Amino acid sequence: MLEPLLESEKKEKILFFLYSHGEGYAREIARKFQFNLNTVQNQLSNLEDHGVLYSRLKGSVRLFGFNPRYPFKKELEALLKKAMMFLPENEVRKYYWPRLRPRRTGKPL
Amino acid sequence: MDFKDISIRDLAIFLCDYLAKKGIETVLSGGACVSIYTENEYLSYDLDFVLIDTAHKKRIRKILEELGFEQEGRHFRHSDTPFFVEFLSPPLSVGEEPVKKIQVIEEDGRNLKLLSPTDCVKDRLAAYYHWNDRPSLEQAVLVSLAQSVDLKEIERWSSNEGMADKYSTFLEELKSKSI
Repeated sequence: MLEPLLESEKKEKILFFLYSHGEGYAREIARKFQFNLNTVQNQLSNLEDHGVLYSRLKGSVRLFGFNPRYPFKKELEALLKKAMMFLPENEVRKYYWPRLRPRRTGKPL
Repeated sequence: MDFKDISIRDLAIFLCDYLAKKGIETVLSGGACVSIYTENEYLSYDLDFVLIDTAHKKRIRKILEELGFEQEGRHFRHSDTPFFVEFLSPPLSVGEEPVKKIQVIEEDGRNLKLLSPTDCVKDRLAAYYHWNDRPSLEQAVLVSLAQSVDLKEIERWSSNEGMADKYSTFLEELKSKSI
């Protein structure tokens, strides 16, 4: 959807993921889309370098999200929101509907 | 250049001027501005320079290495000084707004470009507003007490950020510390 602007399908999916989930970590995103972990890490690091994303440590996991101090955050989110409306419904459900309810310890699924 | 016992202010002036003479324009932001405006009542060890043109990012490493700095991840460190230096990508902004007016400190023929006291307060408040970072609120108060700042402009900017409530907290804090 935004590939001509972002010049990367992976970057687009990472941004959609963070927009829909609020925060995410590299391994989680790589697993979700079956991307190479290094590729995801590089994209996240590059976006953080440019101030688009923030990162914070939670335990041993580095979480990424949209930097609230990025001056174009609102506009970027509006663009992603609109672009997501053009995605196939099954794709949105599969990748961009985060599970928000808790999962009890030991539950297999 | 001898960096032993150099103050954060002098280091900022030296680096900003040195890079400008090499054609790399930077503006100091973040905690180092607080140190400068409060005369180290709050001491930062972190010099955040915002690049005006991101194209120069690759040249910086070579220039700083010539000065004896070493890159550690995103930062540069020098064995003679505890301060570390980072170069941030443009644009120069406070919250959602671009910085329009840049302050210049001139000393011994060298220039340091940095956020104005008013923008420095906004910069600190942005950290408090968006991250609930209490030390940043205290730094905003310290700068407001030490320097002449435009509170009306800060109030306007805060409302624009959707943070009118938190601006009231800042104002209360400032009033309680004012004599």
